[in-house]
Order: sequence, then structure tokens, then C-alpha cells
Amino acid sequence: MTMMQNRVAIAGVGYSETGRMLPFSDDQLVTQAVTAALDDAGLKQGDVDGISTTGGVSMSIGSLLGILPLNWFFTSSLYGPSFAETAVMAMDAVASGSCHAALALRVIRQPRAGDHPIAAITAGGPADGPTRVGGQQQWTAPFGGSLPAAFIGGLQMQRYMSEFGAKEEDFARHAVVQRSHAMRNPEALFRDPLDVDEYLASRYVSKPVRLLDCDYPVDSASAVIFTTPERARECRKPAVLVDSWAMSAVADIDMALLDDFTSNAVGHCSETLWSRTDLRPADVDCAGLYDGFSIITFEWLDALGFCGRGEAPQFINDGHTGPGGSLPTNTDGGACNVGRRHGANFCIESVRQLRGECGERQVPGAEVAVWSNATGSFAGAAILTVDR
Amino acid sequence: MSDQVLYPPMPKPDSVSEFFWSGVDRHELLILRCQECATYLHPPKEVCRTCLSTNLKPERVSGKATLVTWTEPRKAYDPYFAAHQPYIFATVNLVEQEPLRFATNLVDCTGDHLRIGQPLAVTFREVAPGCTLPLFEVVG
Repeated sequence: MTMMQNRVAIAGVGYSETGRMLPFSDDQLVTQAVTAALDDAGLKQGDVDGISTTGGVSMSIGSLLGILPLNWFFTSSLYGPSFAETAVMAMDAVASGSCHAALALRVIRQPRAGDHPIAAITAGGPADGPTRVGGQQQWTAPFGGSLPAAFIGGLQMQRYMSEFGAKEEDFARHAVVQRSHAMRNPEALFRDPLDVDEYLASRYVSKPVRLLDCDYPVDSASAVIFTTPERARECRKPAVLVDSWAMSAVADIDMALLDDFTSNAVGHCSETLWSRTDLRPADVDCAGLYDGFSIITFEWLDALGFCGRGEAPQFINDGHTGPGGSLPTNTDGGACNVGRRHGANFCIESVRQLRGECGERQVPGAEVAVWSNATGSFAGAAILTVDR
Repeated sequence: MSDQVLYPPMPKPDSVSEFFWSGVDRHELLILRCQECATYLHPPKEVCRTCLSTNLKPERVSGKATLVTWTEPRKAYDPYFAAHQPYIFATVNLVEQEPLRFATNLVDCTGDHLRIGQPLAVTFREVAPGCTLPLFEVVG
């Protein structure tokens, strides 16, 4: 057993209402998610003394919800693996003893008109003369590479297809499998059957990335309460233990300039994760592998060793990731179907699977789950287990 | 609208990148190089990541590159690129070093027959009045 193993547990999870253009402020979304997580754990505000957030400001959220004083708090710069960064910080804080119970939050909103950094600065139009972009953007924006679907999804997916011979039909089959999970999740936003032809008929956002390869932008807040195993065992639901976790950065934030477009931080993070546990890939019962773009799930399947590098298409085609497969993956339907929570949905779904709360989509007897977040420059992942 | 001149988002040079963009204006591809350990740095920085030397100077490179990966953005979020579709956004590797990644557009080709490692060469194009960019074309 390594120093990290089983020093942290998850006591409660919760979502806000989730959907498009909801009539809620960030504070309302956070309140809904935190209230749900506290209720799930059977805890009160005073039981929490740490807040970690990607989106918003941790101490402001503490003040909003009467979770003060805080013994520990963290606000993400947004240059990190999103919910995984938030969660890793919270887990580190609990493991070190800096706080007893830490809320990890991801607050995210569907972009509104004018939110896009490039759209915003070009809004003045040519009458004002050319738009000027500095910093990292000067190396990509002049070439039309500012869309995440281009400089993240498109570049990685094309490289994966060219390097390993993956076909568009492979991504179609993956989308169909994800949807088949979503059809079993009453909280999924997309629950109608999907077939390969429908995927292949969906428009390109940045070829080869199609609309159905992209996560679905929503307004949503997600909350997870990390605490010690001892405290978690006194909570309302069965404790879920965090076996191990890892977070990696392998490059500056500009994902158009990666040294490696098909392994990148996902590969480094996976290696680090397995070095911190006695568990092996064959021990994992279900997985939640980030799908901001569907290619990213392929990268994690390869990197975590569920199949060889470049073999994710075959692994998916053989039925391993689907309902009843050897590694049901993204059993909530993934962010393509439940909405963009930037990784939090994979942590929360893993907890629910290990508690046996997943109804029609429950993986029978699930005891070990892995969830992951992000790609390219940075990544994070964790292994969760039942409390044996 | 048809006579309106559209510009892509244009680079805003800073003290570290000014050499690069003024070189482009002269049709020269300049990459910052460490004078101690010979490492090329792109994007340019104020220190060499290999040896931490600050003795860095721009050097003209061959303009030869190989194709690493590419994509064809279709979402019209910017008026210039909405008017210039289809286009290819690509990451190439300058032949002077591996890795030495560079983001650009591929011109005078379609995305249909491209392959990893495809030989490329820089071409300087005035994409809008007074706006020259270093783009790449397929060679051989």
C-alpha cells in the first residue's frame, strides 16, 4: 500500500439543475449542488471546512453558503484539468490534514453571446481596423485555430486516425454506445436511440470532429464532498474510498503545439496513477473517461491500459465499453449526453455506481471505478473503490 | 458588405515576439535559439527551457517542415474565417529540431490526401492588406 491509498473518501455528491440557458445565477446553481451534496452525505454547513472550486471564488462561495471559517480553500486559475484539478486539490487537503471535509465544485455555464474570447474582440468589426491578439493566442488565432474543437479535438482526432488507422465509423460506434448508456439514465439530456448513419450525417464542427463528438454545453454546478474515511463512514450513504489519484501537466496551455497529440498528459497521468496503487486495469469494473471530445475517451482507454495504444476502436467495437461489457464506460452517457460538467459527472457517476444507485444502468457488483478529466497539456484521474 | 476588407485576428507582437513578426513582414522565418545549448524555442520565451540560459537569439530557419496533424474548422465564429472556408489549420514540425512545433495554415491543397510526415515548405502570404502570415504548402 502506498502512502496515498485510502486516506480520503467521498461522503456526498450532488448536482444543480442542469440544462440550456437556465434562469439561474451561478450562486443559485452552486447552492443547489452543494445543498444536494450535503443532503446526500447527511452533513451540515458546519461539517465542511474546505472549499475547492473551478468556477467562481472559493471564499465567496463559503460566505454565500455560511461555510466559514474555512481551514483551507482553493480557486482554480482555469488553466488546469477542470474538475480533476479541483478534486485533486481537495483530496490533497484532506490527506494532509489541512481540512476535515472539502467541497470540490465545478460551476460551468453554456457560453452566452459575446463570451468567446475571439468573438468578443472581433465584435467591433473591420471598421475598427484589424483585431489584434497577443500572448499565447498570437501563435494560433491568426491561423483560425481558436476553436477548442479545432486546436484540441480536431488536431488530436486527425492525428489518432492517421497514426492508428481509426475510421469515422469507429467514432460513430462509440457515439452509439455512449447513447445506449444515456438511454438507461433518466437524468441524461439525450435519450433517443442513435445509429451510425445519424452520427455520420451530423455536421462537422472541425473536421474530423462532428457535432456528436462534442460535449453538450449546459448550465450546471456539481459538488463532491471529500473527507476522511473515518468521517465518511459516519455519513448517510456508504463511504466510497479514493484509492489513488494523479494530476499531470506536460506542456504550456497551447494545445496546438503538443509534442504528442495522442498520449500527451493523458499518458503521463495514467502512468502516475498506476504507480500509486496496487490495483491493475483488470481490477476496474467501470470507467468514466472524459469526453469533452470523443477522441479523448479513446486516448484514456489506451493510456490507462485497458487496451494497447491505438486499440480503443477495436476495444469499443468488441463491446467492452457498452452495457454488459467488461468495462462499461461513461455509464451516465458521458458529457456528450448529460451535459458539460468538465469531469465532475464522471466522478459522481463512479460514486453512484460503487454505491449501487444506478438502477437500469447499474454495473452489477461494481467495486472499483476509475474516472478521468482533460487532455493535451494537462490531465487528472482517480481510482475509487467500495469500502471493503 | 462585399467590398468590406476582412482581417483575421492579427498578431499583437510583444517584446519577446516582435522579432518573429517583423521577420515575417520581411518574408523571413526566424526562430529563437539558445546560444549556449543550441535549442530552438517556439513560441519564443525569455529563457531556454533546456539549460536556463538567457542568451537567446533569433536565427533564420530553412522553412522546411513536416506535417504533424491538421483539422478543417467549420464553425464560423470569426468573419474572416467564415468567409475563407474551407481552410486547414495545422500543426507542423520545423525540420531543424524534433520537436519544434509550429501552428499554421496549409494552403493550395485540400485535406483529403494529407499524411503524417508530409514534407512542407513555408510560404509568406498577404492574407489581407498589410497582413502577412507564414503559411505552409505541400512540396514533393
